[in-house]
Amino acid sequence: MTQEISDEALCRRVADRDEAAFELLVGRYQGRAYRLAWSLLRDAEDARDVSQDAFLRVYRTAAGFRGDARFSTWFYRILVNLCLDHQRRGGWWRRLLVRDDGGAAADGSMLERQPAPLVDPGDAVDHAQVMARLWTAVERLSPQQRAAILLHVQEELPASQIAVVLGCTEATVRVHLHRAVSVLRRTVDRD
Amino acid sequence: MTDGPHPDTELTAYVTGALSPAERAAVAAHLEACADCRRTTDDSRTVLAALASATAVPPPVDWGRYGAELRARVQTSARRAWWARPVPAVLAGGVVAASLLLAVQGLSRRPVELASVEETMLGARLPLLQQYRVVERLELLEDLDAIRQLDRLGPSGGG
Repeated sequence: MTQEISDEALCRRVADRDEAAFELLVGRYQGRAYRLAWSLLRDAEDARDVSQDAFLRVYRTAAGFRGDARFSTWFYRILVNLCLDHQRRGGWWRRLLVRDDGGAAADGSMLERQPAPLVDPGDAVDHAQVMARLWTAVERLSPQQRAAILLHVQEELPASQIAVVLGCTEATVRVHLHRAVSVLRRTVDRD
Repeated sequence: MTDGPHPDTELTAYVTGALSPAERAAVAAHLEACADCRRTTDDSRTVLAALASATAVPPPVDWGRYGAELRARVQTSARRAWWARPVPAVLAGGVVAASLLLAVQGLSRRPVELASVEETMLGARLPLLQQYRVVERLELLEDLDAIRQLDRLGPSGGG
């Protein structure tokens, strides 16, 4: 039985310019990176570019990875920071104006997001509407709150790791999550 | 209902598992007695479970193209001119910053240096000053402009 090389060991090899190690790391994280970037940016092209930027940053700065945190946490930190920077630079307003893969694609993805089918079709429609409203509310959260809630529900990171990713204290993460959940709860309560 | 305040922020942290064991026990005790907070906690749990069960699915990606683009960007990055690379750029930035700092310090010191030059020149002229009668008329050597013009006056003074 062969033991899989850890992300941290691969990252150290990347620091020594091991191209194969870099390819392996990219293969492990590209799906997650693109999905998280898309969840934050809501634009497929931007998500592709920014997630590639994150890998490029890993390639350039792998020597700076100290190994006292998990590679995934370090990588998410790079990725989320790049996404937040991208939003600050104005990619966000462009997405609202030009929905190249938004519009129909967004509707499609809303349906794809639905959990297992419900028994009653009427209930299913109601549920789809609630879910659509819920995700719209997620999009309207502040960037920090949105990042915190997505890292929690999508990447299943605990508050302590979300704090490292966002570069803030765990107490601040608790506040971000609390405010985000409060807004989302009110969205559902309006039914 | 309970007599104490509702632990609003802690309720979400309770649901997301972000509390320490002691905090968790305190919130659990509150929930035992507070129906409002129990309802809030249940609603929060429902919202989080709904989001987790229906995670966002982005438009599909051509991973082959994605990887090829990334490889090209990595190669371009590796071929970048030495001065555009991070370390030389930081060094260059440091040199520029140091130069600016020295220039600013130099400017701020200039009046002091000028003053010391002025004093030296004045000191060198002291024997000459003693020959000028005009100096006798200057109270406490206050008129520095006149002193500066002494070279243009004749030794007999007058003026």
